[in-house]
Amino acid sequence: MINFTINGQPVTAAKGETILQAARKAGFYIPTMCYLEKTTPCASCRLCVVETDKTDGLILSCQTPPTEGLAVTIDSENLKAERTNIMRLYDVNHPLECGVCDKSGACDLQNKTLEFGVDRQHFSAKEQHRKIEHWGLINYDPSLCILCEKCVHVCNEIIGDDAITLQFGGYKSSVVPKNSDTLDCTFCGECIAVCPVGALVSSDFQYSANAWELIQIPATCAHCSAGCSLTYEVRHTSNSVGGKSKIYRVTNDFEHATLCGAGRFGFDFGVEGTKAENELSRAVDAIKGAEAIRFGSMITNEEALILQKLKQKLGIKLYNEEARLYQAFMNAYASISGKTAFGGTLDAIRQSEGIILLGGRVATDNPAVRYAMTTAARHNGAKIVYMHPLEDALMQNVVTQFVKYEVGTEEGVMAMLAKTLLEGADLSDEAKAYFDDLDEGYLCAESNVGDEEFARIAKAMKRAKCKTLIVGADVFGHKRASSIAKLCAMVETYTEFSLVVVAPSVNTVGVSLICDLSQDSEGKSVVGYNAPGDFVMGSSSGADLKLPALNSQEGTFVSIDHQVLPTNVAVAYEGYTLNDVACALGVEARYTIDYTAQLPREKGFSAKAFDDLGNFFGPLGEDLRGYLLENVDAEANGKLEPVEDLPEFNGTVVYRCNPVNQFNACTAQSRQLEKDTALHGSAQFAAAAKIADGDKVRIEFKGNIEERTFVLDSELKGTVALVPTFDTAFGGLMDGYRFEKVKIMSMGSES
Amino acid sequence: MHHEEPFKDRNVSENSAYYYVDIEAYPETGWDKFKQVVKRTFSGELFVGLWVVLREMIKFDIHTVQYPKEKLPIGPRYRAVHKLLRLWESGYERCIGCGLCEKICISDCIRMDTRIDENSRKEVTEYSINLGRCIFCGYCAEVCPELAIVHGPRYENASEQRAHFVIKDDMLTPLDLLKAGEQAEYPGFGAIIPGSDASVKKTPLAY
Repeated sequence: MINFTINGQPVTAAKGETILQAARKAGFYIPTMCYLEKTTPCASCRLCVVETDKTDGLILSCQTPPTEGLAVTIDSENLKAERTNIMRLYDVNHPLECGVCDKSGACDLQNKTLEFGVDRQHFSAKEQHRKIEHWGLINYDPSLCILCEKCVHVCNEIIGDDAITLQFGGYKSSVVPKNSDTLDCTFCGECIAVCPVGALVSSDFQYSANAWELIQIPATCAHCSAGCSLTYEVRHTSNSVGGKSKIYRVTNDFEHATLCGAGRFGFDFGVEGTKAENELSRAVDAIKGAEAIRFGSMITNEEALILQKLKQKLGIKLYNEEARLYQAFMNAYASISGKTAFGGTLDAIRQSEGIILLGGRVATDNPAVRYAMTTAARHNGAKIVYMHPLEDALMQNVVTQFVKYEVGTEEGVMAMLAKTLLEGADLSDEAKAYFDDLDEGYLCAESNVGDEEFARIAKAMKRAKCKTLIVGADVFGHKRASSIAKLCAMVETYTEFSLVVVAPSVNTVGVSLICDLSQDSEGKSVVGYNAPGDFVMGSSSGADLKLPALNSQEGTFVSIDHQVLPTNVAVAYEGYTLNDVACALGVEARYTIDYTAQLPREKGFSAKAFDDLGNFFGPLGEDLRGYLLENVDAEANGKLEPVEDLPEFNGTVVYRCNPVNQFNACTAQSRQLEKDTALHGSAQFAAAAKIADGDKVRIEFKGNIEERTFVLDSELKGTVALVPTFDTAFGGLMDGYRFEKVKIMSMGSES
Repeated sequence: MHHEEPFKDRNVSENSAYYYVDIEAYPETGWDKFKQVVKRTFSGELFVGLWVVLREMIKFDIHTVQYPKEKLPIGPRYRAVHKLLRLWESGYERCIGCGLCEKICISDCIRMDTRIDENSRKEVTEYSINLGRCIFCGYCAEVCPELAIVHGPRYENASEQRAHFVIKDDMLTPLDLLKAGEQAEYPGFGAIIPGSDASVKKTPLAY
């Protein structure tokens, strides 16, 4: 701890903290324009200048740590004059279009201009004609830009796209796409969020409403398992379209959290419903006569509990393969580790200096994990080992070692990795014997990962202080998932590594905790809830009973951080909800959220009522959203399973994997998100499957035939092609192992 | 402390112009009432009135306004059905779609839709005022930073329906009228304060 004073009052700062951070913690106000808590200081605005007794002139508080006994002054007359002059310069020729600007009312420049009383232009500069850039989902107006560089920092340090940069040219400086004519990025829109003025805006939202007339509804993103906080901003529409409320845009607390493009731009999903009693009674009859309910993991905990209660009352089965596989994986994990939940979090990834990722394409499966890895790489110089059969161009910026293994050999790779990481750990004799007995030669040969690669991993991880092992969604559907889970548990239990298991869907974790799931089998009558079935309920336009989508529901999700996160109703839904169906079946509650306090205590949920859950960040970034699941101990009675013969995947193999910003049927409905449904493969794959770029192909897997267009992708190598699943009826990423040998039939070229 | 206000002689002092009207006592008995009726019936007051009408009729100097053929001029500050004005020089709509009128409206009767147009400018695509709800308070005209929405002189609001809308096309000055110089500026609600030119500060420019 460093003791120093601000305006004569004693303040303490932790090691590594800057004067600004310490001042904010102690409740002192230092104005800033370019400061962003989650990135390194941009140090471009110079508004945070302070005076000290040990320096001549002014210093930037955002990037200077205090020294012991330093006396800092943050608000002298001199400082005020300096800051006012900076604001005067910012305001030179800033277009006076606040009346129409999207940012007006939520604009840092407006606020600070008023704060410093700049009511006229003191300096002059020749006005220049600057072209407004249209970059797809993002528009950029350079004449509004104040060159704070927040967007550049966030794009590079947090997201990892590194897609924009500052083109220096004095008064003519502007933000430009890096090494490209137009913006080529994952369109997370974080640059829009951090922009303090109206320079970077969402092209869809621009000029459609004003910041100050939107009603902000705090919620949780409904697309992946990261459970990012977001705010739906709604407003009435005009009379000609009925005047009903509509979501105009999604924003986030960018200072403390990050949001991907699907969360930001994929908000317009769901159906409109009406209270048609005959539809409800048909649904009730269908469930009464059904053998099982099949449901997707895009569901709140409360509704999952309703389904569980229906199961108990009516004696029907519950199908959700994705959550069942995850559940089985976590049970196997618990049998070794002695606890039901893995120890790592997104924040742990961010703090890590060494990260190993195995079996998952996180950049598209769960962008929040990618952003956490990027942050670790940029801020801690983390060593990142990426183990997967396929390289991911999106991760190239941060990965320090790519380990390519053969498709299907995850168990062998994990066993070798565990052996490497557990070197020298205090293991039981039995475990020691297990690792000594591994047939290294066979495993290395079959998985095609050499000894030297594991040696390199060991070397890189040795020096890292904080370490995380991330396991992706590939492994849940693997035949040897339980063995892999046990090996992961070994690594977490006996090394400094914390484990993060990337659950595939928004509430896979919650469903796996709440529901008793049965193995899916083609039953004679299955009711689907946002899943295929003989009678389908859900938020798709083809559903037999239309129920609200997640942006019209209140309830909670469990994120991969094991945090129970509340979400709220953004647009009112006029039809029935699952609770109405359950009430008709005798499982009664007034509101769905009455179940929030009834979530199973034995799984770590607490008895908190929905209305008692917070959904915001504190001023210093304290996460006050929902609550954390309690740790639940399990019986550690599992045994490591001997590694089986590694399977071989020859010929044409496809990998189920969604394109950027696509996750499920909801994102597929969204008007702004790009819908790339093509099969992407390398030239080698094209040769093996005897198809050419642009061909229409039929893919046969699991007895289903899908038609896709083949696109030759120069970024890909090998004989594995990527097939998206978001557009298939309710496509899950993993109804089984994500890699699959398939038959591909060419239907000739499209034209 | 209780303060008793002297209600009875409020504003009435000895030398003021107020005086008490001399009112006859009400008749009390039936006979008195009968006498009053007879007196009023036959005193000829009726014919005084009839004579006035006849005299004015044959003079042909009638002041009755022949509404709806004729209408009295309305004061410029009168707040009747809204108008949307155009810029004199370019003919563009003055409305920039800032949404302030919609927000300030206390009866929540204004709705608008805006979008970004091909020239990257804000365009108002829909604008409607529900006259069934409008209380003609004038806030919209007062808040408008562009003098775009003003209260015009049209005060007839009769409609077959309770919800009676005016839309943008009804309110916007037609281009031919603008070219003919027939767009009226209203010195009423929201107009520039006389002499405000003097308080404009000049921005230093480099050229």
